[in-house]
Amino acid sequence: MHQHDPRVDELRQRLRSLGYLDAGVDRFVLAPARAARAPVLIALLASLRIGLLAGLLLGPAAAVGISGRVPGLVTGARDAVVIALYMGALFGLAVATAALLASLAVRLTARRAPSAVTRHGRGWGAAAGTLVALGCLAYLTLWWQTANAGIGWDAPAWTTFALLVAVAISLLLGHAVRVTTVAVLVAGAEPGTAAPAVPGASWGISLAAGVLAFAGAAAFLVLTAPAESTPAARPALTVVPSGLRTRVVAIDGVDARLLDDLISTGRLPALAAVMDGARAKLASGTTPDEGATQADPARTWTTAATGQPADLHGVYGLETRRIAGLRGSVTVSERSPLAAPLRAATDLLRLTRPSIASGHERREMTFWEVAAEAGLRTAVVNWWATWPASREAGIVLTDRATLRLEHGGDLDSEIAPPELYERLREHWPALRQRAAVLAAAAIDERQGTDIRTVLQRSAELDAMQLLLADAVADRALDLTAVYLPGLDIAQHSLLRSVDDSALSASTAALRVEAVKSYYVTLDRLLAPVVSAARDDEILLVLTAQGRVAAENGEGRLAMTGPVARRGALDSGALVDAAPTILHALGVPISEALAGRPLTTLFTEAFMARYPVRRVRHYAAPLMPGGGRGRPLDQEMIDRLRSLGYVR
Amino acid sequence: MIAVPAFFAQYQARVESHLREIVPPGGTRVQQSMAYTLHAPSKRVRPVLTMLAAELCGGAQARALAAAAAMEMVHASSLILDDLPCMDDAPLRRGRPTNHREFGEAFAILAAFGLLNLSFETLGREYESALSARLTGVLAEAVGLDGLIGGQAADLLATDRQIDFDVLERIHRGKTGALFCAAATSGALTAGAGPDAIAALAAFAKNLGLAFQIIDDLLDVDGDPAATGKAVREDARKTTFVSFSGLEGARQLAAELCVTADRALSPFGQRADRLRELSAFVAARSL
Repeated sequence: MHQHDPRVDELRQRLRSLGYLDAGVDRFVLAPARAARAPVLIALLASLRIGLLAGLLLGPAAAVGISGRVPGLVTGARDAVVIALYMGALFGLAVATAALLASLAVRLTARRAPSAVTRHGRGWGAAAGTLVALGCLAYLTLWWQTANAGIGWDAPAWTTFALLVAVAISLLLGHAVRVTTVAVLVAGAEPGTAAPAVPGASWGISLAAGVLAFAGAAAFLVLTAPAESTPAARPALTVVPSGLRTRVVAIDGVDARLLDDLISTGRLPALAAVMDGARAKLASGTTPDEGATQADPARTWTTAATGQPADLHGVYGLETRRIAGLRGSVTVSERSPLAAPLRAATDLLRLTRPSIASGHERREMTFWEVAAEAGLRTAVVNWWATWPASREAGIVLTDRATLRLEHGGDLDSEIAPPELYERLREHWPALRQRAAVLAAAAIDERQGTDIRTVLQRSAELDAMQLLLADAVADRALDLTAVYLPGLDIAQHSLLRSVDDSALSASTAALRVEAVKSYYVTLDRLLAPVVSAARDDEILLVLTAQGRVAAENGEGRLAMTGPVARRGALDSGALVDAAPTILHALGVPISEALAGRPLTTLFTEAFMARYPVRRVRHYAAPLMPGGGRGRPLDQEMIDRLRSLGYVR
Repeated sequence: MIAVPAFFAQYQARVESHLREIVPPGGTRVQQSMAYTLHAPSKRVRPVLTMLAAELCGGAQARALAAAAAMEMVHASSLILDDLPCMDDAPLRRGRPTNHREFGEAFAILAAFGLLNLSFETLGREYESALSARLTGVLAEAVGLDGLIGGQAADLLATDRQIDFDVLERIHRGKTGALFCAAATSGALTAGAGPDAIAALAAFAKNLGLAFQIIDDLLDVDGDPAATGKAVREDARKTTFVSFSGLEGARQLAAELCVTADRALSPFGQRADRLRELSAFVAARSL
């Protein structure tokens, strides 16, 4: 055992500063520049190495961060690796550019004041390195703030560890830039000028810088921390059961004014019966005062299902992009001016390919997921962005369920629980036949062949969803929700070209009449549902404007049943639908929701007995497992294209 | 005397044999003077380093032989000059009277320049022009102001003076490290190695070179003249590594330098075991 000799420590530090002992990083960074003499070439070659280092160090960190920010993008280890590679390339390029610019800036300064190189060379190198290190540290600290959502703020050990790693990475990259800058200065020094010494890696200085950087990063983390941290724990949801069952029928593409007109003329008896109960006008935005926003079915119906605006629930639109090599997908807000050109460019380069909105992107729980979490028995049929289905959310027939039932083959999370698939597949021919019969009986026979074909297709689709809802509801369920797309599809097929000058006035009038006739068809299809509503059942009809936007863009939420306050009329927004449904089920309402339960729709007795109870938040949705998507992905796109959803 | 690694003998034999082909014993008095120092008993660490580096990088031993011989000739030349009365005025070298004591100062100088010239001639003759130009550049740098000449100049200025650590390192780097680095780099170049391999080998040689010199300093303080081949405390007028760290500290740092040298070889894996044996041998000299 050697006795401790302070002289040896001192000499060890001096040797390190002279490039001996552990100078591994310096060697790696400057290796390709050994044969070069031109300062710019040295800067370029060394910066590429620094970029490589940064890519390796920051890529995985960025992958963790981005998967926290963009749910649905990373669905497994393979996706994480691919994203880490993408992010590594991106950050490698960014850091290499920063290192190159920093070293060239210093070189430029040195050329203007060559005499100052000896005196200030090391200082300039230190400044360039410090700038890069600080930038890196700031980024990593902010990254941690985002990424730790899944770990929780109550994990000081993890936070400390993450910050220490961030400090180490930042110091390493900063040191590499410093060494490069000094190497560039040395190479460019005038003959006879004493070049600055290569900076050392003294433990004392490194430790002091590390402690300082850690303290700074911790302070930065605290200063930029959100006022209320994101909780990770799944809160207990206590249901106060009213003994009532709830059935939700969601109808897309309803023009509220036309609906009112048709009801007033007595053409929609079934829907009139529901509207006679309690009803509310729903603005399509987050608040009643907000105007109509762009109508995208996936966005609209996820807003209705989660009680949150798209910025929070994460499903911005029907069309998403899958990144090459990834299973997950990503959506870009349409409000971003860069979205369309970026999409076009990445599609052209084959870096992305079109896909359809799925549960991977959704960051908020739907009302049926909250109900299932609270222990209720639920079923949902054909709602947008429900694929891939999670077993934990009760019965889920996703928006891809009919496609899977048609095609057969192995289930790919289109239906949950999986054992339901075989049963439905067995009855599928009969269900299809029954849907065709119901549709044919419901549509107006006076229509011409072309229009009749459109209406028949929509009616079959709607009838099929209602039949599937019945088929899965053979056991007692607390909540059934079914989404009917037929009206929106018919309306879009018939009216999207009405403004086209090529269409004669008489043809346009015929088509408008045909759409009106579909309201009647829908009413006929719904009649058994309304008439079968039992005394212990709440029936909610939720409508929203479709893709052929009406002027007012309003939706409707109508409720019948023993707890509906007959004749009540309220105003709300689409985000109020989910909390209202949850309140009807006796589930506490999250304070974090943008929507509120429309309590005036309920009888005073019900409200007195079941006042709105609150919880601070709902849990984050469980990330659905599975869901490879292929080959059904493309077929889904083709089908949606044939129905007019995708161009 | 510490035994050299077993595999060394084969390499040493090839180097010795090649050196005898280039500078045969006998001949004119200048040739005799050149051969006297060049063929004196030696471990041939530098040329063996060149050949091991070449093999490590996938090159053939035979192709590296000329570069290895050039390294040894430059080294022998530097020893003759180093021992001159105007320099260190050393009486013994490699267990024998120094060159100028045997052949006179004038012939010693001529022999030194003869060996130096022959080393460059060998490189120019044995390799194709592009490689020859690179090897010549590497060797010239090791001999020049940043190498042997610069190191010796700093050493002369430091004699009988208190010098700081940076100057001592400058001397060691110039007099020992530069040629160690050149030896390793040249070997890698003859094998067509890439910049990463060259940088790793240069780092190995740089650390090993300093360790080698520190150990020389240690042996000068408490070594056996029979083992070192030169008079103990010959460097007493000079500041050495031991002056800064003490005996034990110098041993410790030399060992750390050898460990660092080994670590620089990690990209090569087990293929670099022979170089690791070389550094182990260097480290063992101080024990």
